[in-house]
This record gives sequence, structure tokens and C-alpha cells, in this order.
Amino acid sequence: MARLAATIANERQRIMQTIRAFLCERGYTEVETPILLKCPGMEPNLVPFETTVINEKKERFAGALATSPEYSMKKLLGQGMEKIFSITKVFRNEEEFGNTHNHEFTMMEWYTQGADHHAMMDETEGLIREVGKAFGKEWPAFQRLSVRQLFIQFVQLDLLSAGATELAVRCHELGVHTDPTDTESDLYYRLFLQFVEPNLPRDPVFVYDYPRYQASLSRLDATGRFGERVELYMDHLELSNGFTELTDALEQRRRFLEEAEERRRIGKTVFPIDEEFLRLLPSVATPTFGNAMGLDRLHMMMIGTKDIEDVLLFPGRKLFLGG
Amino acid sequence: MLSGGAGSGSAGHSPFSILHPPMSSPNDIKKGTVINLSGDLNVVISFQRVSPGKGSSFVRTRIKNLRSGKVVEHVFKSAESVAFEDVMYKKMQYLFTDGSLYTFMDTQNYEQISLTKEDVGDDVNYLKEGLEVTVVIHGETPLTIELPKKITYAVVETEPAVKGDTASGNVRKEAKMDNGLTVRVPIFINQGDHIIVNTEDGEYVERVNE
Repeated sequence: MARLAATIANERQRIMQTIRAFLCERGYTEVETPILLKCPGMEPNLVPFETTVINEKKERFAGALATSPEYSMKKLLGQGMEKIFSITKVFRNEEEFGNTHNHEFTMMEWYTQGADHHAMMDETEGLIREVGKAFGKEWPAFQRLSVRQLFIQFVQLDLLSAGATELAVRCHELGVHTDPTDTESDLYYRLFLQFVEPNLPRDPVFVYDYPRYQASLSRLDATGRFGERVELYMDHLELSNGFTELTDALEQRRRFLEEAEERRRIGKTVFPIDEEFLRLLPSVATPTFGNAMGLDRLHMMMIGTKDIEDVLLFPGRKLFLGG
Repeated sequence: MLSGGAGSGSAGHSPFSILHPPMSSPNDIKKGTVINLSGDLNVVISFQRVSPGKGSSFVRTRIKNLRSGKVVEHVFKSAESVAFEDVMYKKMQYLFTDGSLYTFMDTQNYEQISLTKEDVGDDVNYLKEGLEVTVVIHGETPLTIELPKKITYAVVETEPAVKGDTASGNVRKEAKMDNGLTVRVPIFINQGDHIIVNTEDGEYVERVNE
């Protein structure tokens, strides 16, 4: 449905006002973070937009557009800010035009020092309920399901003990296609995609504590087998991704080097490690939670659409492909 | 349609061309791609790229086994190599249906071929007499069709706008096209107008000036 610009703009304003009021009331400070960076996200999946920064002497510097404000915000945490949020545009290349993606999208990230991912789930649920109220939407209590529980229920495999061999055997038994190059993480994700994700409830659900190879920037739990990472799904769409943050700079450097190596292997640009970020990371309290939410997708949920273009005034597909 | 990404339409194919090298990357999968999986040919009905927060990215597909006709979900890792079968993309004109078979004609040699309703899939709703489509052919066997991204239809039936619609932000109404397709259109559209419809999502695009 082609929607009226004024309708989209009014809905978006209602969402932004509700979020800002909710977070400010809870003692958060809004911060601005750079979009133009020297060290963008290192995740092997992401393709940042690369550009060149030129000064008045015509000296050239490699730059890229932010894929997330994460490193910048953690630098602020390391400088002593306790509760911060940022609402900013982020950019990811090599994504599809439309459906649930846009190359440029609006991200909200927020952090609290001294609280973990369970507190984050409480606050995220509160925030979404508040935004829902502004749209006359209500949901039952958000379910919280660990990846371990979900795998036991839908794959009949306990990830506490199962490794690559058990995952490969289970794929074979369930008739899931595998490839000789599959890593433990790949085997896990094939099972997740085919047996877990389609079985998630349509009502809001937090999926939490991911296997360590999917830990990303989260802290490992006491068993060392799971990273304290949380994703919120609504109507089978990923809405947010957050962690009890990893604050161990050595471990963080090891993960960066691993990611840099993976990027090199698959022929993607290897960006420099953000040394200032690593220097400030040990000053961040343990635990600290952080969560990143796609606001375009939140907007989609509020009006019940499957198409991101219904909530964008200027969808990328129209800008680049016309129509 | 589940599929996304650029190039899923038929634009750009020459009338009679072979596009795929034998071994390819799952990133090149699109609707109509034919994949050889342990000797069985499978045609891609829809696809979607997915990435976990960490690790490799994947392409999730729905594929139809051309021998058994069975449709299954199949997930490829982007880094895998897959065997694409050579298929031809041939521009043909839609002629008619008897309700179960859909017949298309090569406008150069007048040769006709027929596809079942299942082969064509949801795209049957967009067909209209004389429409030029791309037929995906493997060897001698037609597999499926690809529609143009935009098709023009004449509006044969639509109600006048109801007062109050604008106030509630509901400025759309239903309209029936000359091939039976129903589309949500803006209230200013009248019977007899010609409009362009996007075949990827079934949405109204614009009114065509006579």
C-alpha cells in the first residue's frame, strides 16, 4: 500500500516522542555519535559503505559510514557516562532493497552500566509496551526462551554438551543439507533457521543466551558455553539485538583479530581496530547491558505491515530503482 | 513474494540466452534458477538472504524438485558452491488458459508451450492476454515464468470514494482490472483508467496518461 507521507511522518513522530520520554524519565542522556568513521563495524557479515575523507591539504583518509553506533557509545561509557541512548542513521551495503531491509535505517541503541541482559529484557518490554499504547496495541507478557531450551524442544539436542559432531549428526538425521566447509556455527544456524525460527511465537518473544560462537560482543555465561546475547522477535521479525556487554579488552581484541582474519579470507575490506575503544573498554562496569533496536521495524510492528517501505518517506528502492 | 534483491525481474535477459555457469555461488540464486542437487534438478520458487548476528550468511530458498514436484525449504551457505543447470530465458506471449494449463507462444516461430497452474504459481493472477513474459526452459522442458516488474491494466470496476475515507487516512479503495485482478488504488482512480501495477507486491504504482 502506498501510504500518505503525512501519516508516516506522524506515526514516526509519535514513536520518537514516546521513546525519548520513556528513556529520559529513566535517567538516560541522549548522545550524538559519528556517522562518518575511521573504524566501522568488523562483523564479517557486514559491508560498510566506504568513502574517503579529504582535508584542506588534499590529504586522503580512508573512512566508512557507521553500521552501528556501538563502539562510539562504549567509548562514552568508558568515560563515565552511566545511562545513554542514541537514535541515529546507520548504513549497511549489499542488503536487499525493500521487504524488511533498507541500506540506510534508523537505529536506537541504549546502555546501562551495572545491569545485565535480564534487566535489559524488562526495560525493552516496558519501552515497547509504552510505544504500543500510543498505537492502541497490547500483547501478552513477552516470553523469554533460551536458545538451549529452544534447541531441546525443536531439535532434541542439548547445546550445553553438543559440539560440531553432534550438530552434524542431527542435521543428517533431520535431512538438513550441510556443506563440507560448515563450521560448528554454520551447522547450528542451519538447524536454527529450519526448526527454531519458524516455530517461534508470533507474539513478542526474547530469545536469549546464544552459543558462544554466536556470542558477538556479549559476555560468556558461567558455563562458558553461551554468550549473554538477546534478540527480540515480533511476528517472526528480528527487532533488537543486545548483550550483557563483553568488557574484557583482551578477549575483545582476540575476537576483533578473528573477525579481521575472517574478513580477509572472504575478500572483504579489513578495517583498522579501534584502539581507543579497546583502551576505554576496561573502564566500563561489569555487568553493562546494551541493546540495539531497528526503529523502522518497530514502526512496522505498530502499524502491522510486512513491508518496510510502508514506514519510510524515502525508501531506497524508489531512490535507486525508481517507481 | 518472498524473494528480494535486484534482478529478480525479467529485465536484462536477452530473448534467448544462457546465463549461468555450471558452478556458482548461492548469492547468485534467483527465482527460476535451476540447481542440481545430487543429480536431481530443482527450480527456485523463492529466496531470501539471511544473516545471523555472527558467522556466515545464508540463502534460504523454497525449491521444487522437477522429478517429484515436491516443494521443500533448502538453506545454502553463501560460501558453498552449487551446481546451476543451464537454463534458457525465452520471451513469449501469454495466449490463454483452460483453467489448468497456461499456454504461451513464441512470437517469432509461433511455437506454443503450456505450463500447469502449479508451475506458474501465484503469477497466474497477473496474466492477461498478449502479455509478454519470460519462460524459463531447461532442455526441452518449460519450468516456470518470470513476469515483467510492472504491468499496465485497465480498471473495469471500482466504487466511487466514500466520504470520510480521507479523514481516517484510508485513501484507498478496491478496483478490478481487465484480467480479474483486484488492486487497492487511490480514490481518484475511475473506471476506464489505465494503471500500472507492481507485480512483486501487487501494489498500485501510478495512473497512465492516455
